[in-house]
Amino acid sequence: MAVLLNPEFSRMLVHGVKMTFIIFIGSWLLAMSLGMILLAVRMLPGRIASGFVAIYVSYHRNVPTLVQLMLWYFGISSLLPGSVQMWLGDHNGEAVFAVVALGLCQAAYFSEDQRSGLRAVPRGQWEAARALGHSYVGAMTYILLPQAVRNAMPALVNHTVSLFKNSSLAMAIGVAELTHAVKEVENQSFRPFETYLIATIVYLVCSLLLMWLGHYLEQRSRMAGAV
Amino acid sequence: MIKFIAVHKFFGALAALTDVNAEVKKGEVVVVCGPSGSGKSTLIRTVNRLEEIQSGSVLFEGKDVHAKLRGSALNHLRSRIGFVFQSFNLFPHLSALDNVMLSPMKVNGVKRSDARETALRLLDRVGLSAKAQNYPAQLSGGQQQRVAIARALAMEPPAMLFDEPTSALDPEMVGEVLSVMRRLARDGMTMMCVTHEMNFARDVADRVWFMDAGRVLETGAPGDFFRSPQHPRAQRFLSDLHTR
Amino acid sequence: MSLLPSMIDIVRDNWLLLLVGQYPNGPLGGIAATLILSVLGIALAFPLSVAMALASLSPWRALRWPVMAMVYITRGVPLLLIILWVYFVLPLLIGHSVPAFATMLVTLVGYEAAFLSEIVRAGILALPQGQMDAARALGHSHLGAMRYVILPQALFNMIPSILSQFVSTIKETTLGYIINVPELTFAAGQINNRLLTKPFEVYFILAISYFIVCWSLTQAINMIERRIAARRTASVAAESAMPATAASASGA
Repeated sequence: MAVLLNPEFSRMLVHGVKMTFIIFIGSWLLAMSLGMILLAVRMLPGRIASGFVAIYVSYHRNVPTLVQLMLWYFGISSLLPGSVQMWLGDHNGEAVFAVVALGLCQAAYFSEDQRSGLRAVPRGQWEAARALGHSYVGAMTYILLPQAVRNAMPALVNHTVSLFKNSSLAMAIGVAELTHAVKEVENQSFRPFETYLIATIVYLVCSLLLMWLGHYLEQRSRMAGAV
Repeated sequence: MIKFIAVHKFFGALAALTDVNAEVKKGEVVVVCGPSGSGKSTLIRTVNRLEEIQSGSVLFEGKDVHAKLRGSALNHLRSRIGFVFQSFNLFPHLSALDNVMLSPMKVNGVKRSDARETALRLLDRVGLSAKAQNYPAQLSGGQQQRVAIARALAMEPPAMLFDEPTSALDPEMVGEVLSVMRRLARDGMTMMCVTHEMNFARDVADRVWFMDAGRVLETGAPGDFFRSPQHPRAQRFLSDLHTR
Repeated sequence: MSLLPSMIDIVRDNWLLLLVGQYPNGPLGGIAATLILSVLGIALAFPLSVAMALASLSPWRALRWPVMAMVYITRGVPLLLIILWVYFVLPLLIGHSVPAFATMLVTLVGYEAAFLSEIVRAGILALPQGQMDAARALGHSHLGAMRYVILPQALFNMIPSILSQFVSTIKETTLGYIINVPELTFAAGQINNRLLTKPFEVYFILAISYFIVCWSLTQAINMIERRIAARRTASVAAESAMPATAASASGA
């Protein structure tokens, strides 16, 4: 593992890992919160609200993530006023756009997962809640959403792992995350096998950890006796 | 033709079959009855090795079904034992005719034209030649089970096993399946049937086996068994049936 | 918005490039290359995935473990990194350099096969045990039962999921951009490099193009799914539950 011994290379790789996590966590937080907002908006009465969400979800699911990233970084940035562009240029604009693009994209998937989870709760639950006198908000908070979240867990975990892997796409717009760092190190050290192997191991271990964490949370939140 | 010798079977720690010794002779019709959980289905499924056994032996035509067999030898053995399931298990992606034709062609190497002729004849024998082109989804439960019987018969087995063939049917369809089975018995087929249909047993069976908790507790001619069962649990079983 | 007329202009001036790349003055690119890559990718991956699914269900560890390992790796490692690996390893294996298109195709075949094998596996497991019992009881061998009874049903039921994976593949072809595979995204990049002043219009056109292709396919899939569901609920046996056709987890 000569690559790791070289201080310059290991610094680049470590920085890459740090960036990967920054992108991942930033976009995950954005995606989760936006996903819940989208779900709430979708349930508002009227066709406009649910139509808007439907179009939002449809766009982000049918356009490749890489293209979305490019549209944000190359396209939308050019529409912003000059001062904003300069500020972004000085302050890691690529990372900001990466977090925004990835977050908005995954929000679509997360909101669909939560929606499926909610749909999987039997209608009788809603009726029982109202029959007992709960308000709409009360029924949602205490009875429906807890079950919906449990139902949605496997899909949410899967999409979280996807989001983690998608952080690598940020390299296409110049973010110095792990895959970008790997390519740089490989260019300079001429040791592709080692560098790629290190990155592969890091990604694999992190993905497996995420999947294990998700599984653990699923088990913990399992309703006794539920399938 | 079918011989059980000191058969023991466990599901983990649970004893499903304990020391079963019994024989189905050629041409005999045996009905196996008993309360649920007595092991009747498990027993019949050991004959074509859909269930494994832990000790003892199950012989079919003198051959040990549970010996260490090559895959092809076991497949050949199974093709000689007709099996009719409680849930029919017809192949939904094939028409009734194709269901009956498939296995003679692919397992026994029968020519397509011969297989087709046999299949049509058998479908006619179970009263369903008009439904040959229909798919299982378009058939009633009773019709599906009759096709399943034809499918098993198409392999020309010397013996037929029936695992609660009418239990999943609506009452009005039970009769049509039982009359197919009665005709088979009359024509001399060796049959082993797990069933709750006591009238069928009385009319058609040569012997009745009573099972409870994994053991064959009593065997006898139907007349004797139904009139005066010997074993106390058999007596209780029959009296429960009558008080319904 | 002055954006719309400029977008129309760009499409009018460059539609050939977007459609077929620089062919015949260069390799085939554009949407044509994207679609060929996707179709070939899925078509070649499919038989491989069936073999992998059967292997993952077999009783021999020597068959199961390599398949499970391959599935875990493709699910845990970003596609971008896998592309870099193949780009580096393939010329070593073959002995001479490999064009980017072929590299991308090889990567996609392996990647999609891993995901498809999970779909096929789920389809096989969703069938009631009684089907296998009946086939074995009639004397079919395990492979014979698979070939005539299990796979025809499982694959038919999984058609919507398989087509979903095809849509994912179309989206995944964009990653070829990293190794300069001539496809639609690469063509858009070329246009942008030439024009320089209209990045938003160019990339918006790119996004809309993919949207139209993928969205139409998704609508077609939904229609097919409805027809399959209708056909299955007509089936008397309430034995099987409909396997879920969730959007592919590869989400690229």
